[in-house]
Amino acid sequence: MIDQAPALILLIPFLAAIIVALMGFRFRSLCYPLVLLSMAGSVWASIATLLSVLEGGVIRYHLGGWEPPFGIELRIDGLNALVVVVVSSVSLLAAIYSRRTVLAENGDKISQFYSLFLLLATGLLGMVLTGDAFNLYVLIEIAALTSYALIAMGPKRATLAAYKYVIMGTIGASFYLLGVGYLYIKTGSLNMVDIQEQLVARDLAGSPAIMVSFILITVGVWIKMAFFPLHAWLPNAYCFSPTTSSCILAPLVTKVMVYVMVRMMLTVYGAEYTFAHLDWSRIIVWMAVVAILAGSISALGQTNLRKMLSFLIIAEVGYMVGGVWLAEEMGMVGSIYHIISDAFMTLCVFLFAGIIISKTGKTDLNALDGMFKKMPLTMTGFLAGAFSLIGIPPTAGFFSKWYLIQGGINSGRWEYVVALLISSLINAVLFFRIIEIAHFGVKPAEGHSHHHSDGHDKISEAPLSQLIPLLGTGALLLIIGLYNKDIVAVISDFLSSSNLGGGIR
Amino acid sequence: MKILGLIAVILTGGLLLSAVHDFPDWGDTTSPASSYRLSQYYITETIHVTAVPNMVTAVLADFRGYDTMFETVVIFTAGIAIIGVLRRYGPGPKLAAPKETITKEKPDLIITTTCRLLIPIIQIFALYVIAHGHHSPGGGFQGGVIFGASFILLALAKDLQTAQKWVPEKRVLKLAVIGIFIYAGFGLVAMLFGSNFLDYSVLHPIMPATDSIMARSHSMLGVEIGVAFTVTAIMFSIYSNLASHGDLKEGL
Repeated sequence: MIDQAPALILLIPFLAAIIVALMGFRFRSLCYPLVLLSMAGSVWASIATLLSVLEGGVIRYHLGGWEPPFGIELRIDGLNALVVVVVSSVSLLAAIYSRRTVLAENGDKISQFYSLFLLLATGLLGMVLTGDAFNLYVLIEIAALTSYALIAMGPKRATLAAYKYVIMGTIGASFYLLGVGYLYIKTGSLNMVDIQEQLVARDLAGSPAIMVSFILITVGVWIKMAFFPLHAWLPNAYCFSPTTSSCILAPLVTKVMVYVMVRMMLTVYGAEYTFAHLDWSRIIVWMAVVAILAGSISALGQTNLRKMLSFLIIAEVGYMVGGVWLAEEMGMVGSIYHIISDAFMTLCVFLFAGIIISKTGKTDLNALDGMFKKMPLTMTGFLAGAFSLIGIPPTAGFFSKWYLIQGGINSGRWEYVVALLISSLINAVLFFRIIEIAHFGVKPAEGHSHHHSDGHDKISEAPLSQLIPLLGTGALLLIIGLYNKDIVAVISDFLSSSNLGGGIR
Repeated sequence: MKILGLIAVILTGGLLLSAVHDFPDWGDTTSPASSYRLSQYYITETIHVTAVPNMVTAVLADFRGYDTMFETVVIFTAGIAIIGVLRRYGPGPKLAAPKETITKEKPDLIITTTCRLLIPIIQIFALYVIAHGHHSPGGGFQGGVIFGASFILLALAKDLQTAQKWVPEKRVLKLAVIGIFIYAGFGLVAMLFGSNFLDYSVLHPIMPATDSIMARSHSMLGVEIGVAFTVTAIMFSIYSNLASHGDLKEGL
């Protein structure tokens, strides 16, 4: 059983998705328990896989019993074992949250919604697990199609937002596919590790086709992760979608694409090619600096809670891209650690936004008026996410910024360090503004007077199905922060095996 | 905006063309793609290890069967997504532009007769394409599309209600799900036999197959049939939802 765990990680939600699609017609009330059960199974399988990777090193699971490069393999090393645990547990937490919101938002299409939800989880898990460059594309397609639909199932404006996302997302995926095509022309293989071996064996470092494929894949992945200035699809898509959709999409889609970028750079092209041969880190770190500042500053101007958080995602993507391209071990550690912590902190704040929206029916910041009195527990959970995004110890966000800043200092990229600090300050301003509104109420000048607060301050917490994931995520943020040494040890192990040293100037 | 788009297109085109001189020549037998052990193995060994003469089918349904399963899932997802986004239960809001009222005449004699002759032939041909996919060009995707097209033709020639009698919405979903289950089932049963997902070679005890090589051949036929179920169902589902604005009442 345990040696089948790598395949079970995605097969369980996949089969559940299909059962839900069929069963939803007659037994609608069974959908939610089945979704929970399957995601819990997936979390179990991914943790089992992580443990056996920690114990015995890289796992290679040959699908169909064919040796790579003839068949497809799932290849799990320290990096994707960590990310896969994150993806499955974030999906589980978002699934727990979905209990009431799906009924309220998509009551007539529960089975379709949950089926797409599970297929999205399947696609993302598959992207993380696979060791085959073309198989990755197929799973990108599944993850993308499901996210378009999950967004378009929202209220009115969601359709247009989803349409823009369809166009941009398709362009991104096509770029990736073209890149893989160019790689195949020059190497004749699709297996990631095998491509790397062929690149070295055929001495293709100087080949223009390989460089073009690198550009195509990188730009395609950037579009998918909403790296500034390719981000235009993201804010509206995550802002107008159903709240359940944004709770799984916002934390995972961009982060998994960052993982894909790291995987492509380190495993397929190799650190030496990416950093030493191409040597573009100067330009790209500057692009990341612009992305961080643009995302943070745009967030300042937003009055819609989810839109503000969406712009923060764009800034966070800037952190990770910049950190990876610092071409320095600490920066790389920080970025990979940030994939993990950012997934949970984005989940935390989006869960919070979902709770507020479903509770008050309002989407702007004024909806938070006096929330500390009305929903003390919800606000506590939110504080963990907010502090983590600002970077206050001992939350996970503090440590990822710590490593990223160290990377910036080690490589002498002060512009990146400054951008990180400015962005943290802006996050502090943003979240303390929210805390102010929630604690002291809206200023009377903004239209809402405070006199109607009598009887309004009674505690009315969010339902348990929404509170548990929020508090759980908050607790996880602390745990990830406190155990940062162990997580970093796994990441460093992975980096030492991927020969980062060869690429560092 | 248009200028920006033009610049982006020119840049992309230039980028793609800039690498063309680095490509191997057209039909070059020493190019990496044709000389590497991957394609060599497929060309020389496929018939020996899978007993399937059509190596394209062998690559897609066996060597890379995991990809193909997810390609089927892509189609399934597209169908579910279109139902999720478009389908309206009960009387929905009136559409902005009133439809031209189509006068209900009796269906045209020529059209109905032609369809009556044509649809069975299309369906039999579809079955042939599916069943013979591992020996000649064809397979589940192609056959499924042809089969689905026969129902779409019926809906176009008569009306959506007539076609719905054959494939009502619930049956469509059942067919689509059954198709995926057939595909995934081959993988899961292989897992029960103690091997990896989709390893057909261990299935020979439960198949009319003499050895593990023939088991691969038979399983490929099996998964192609699964693909065909899903593709047929989803093709018709997408058409009917698009054509009726999601209420499945009046088609085009």
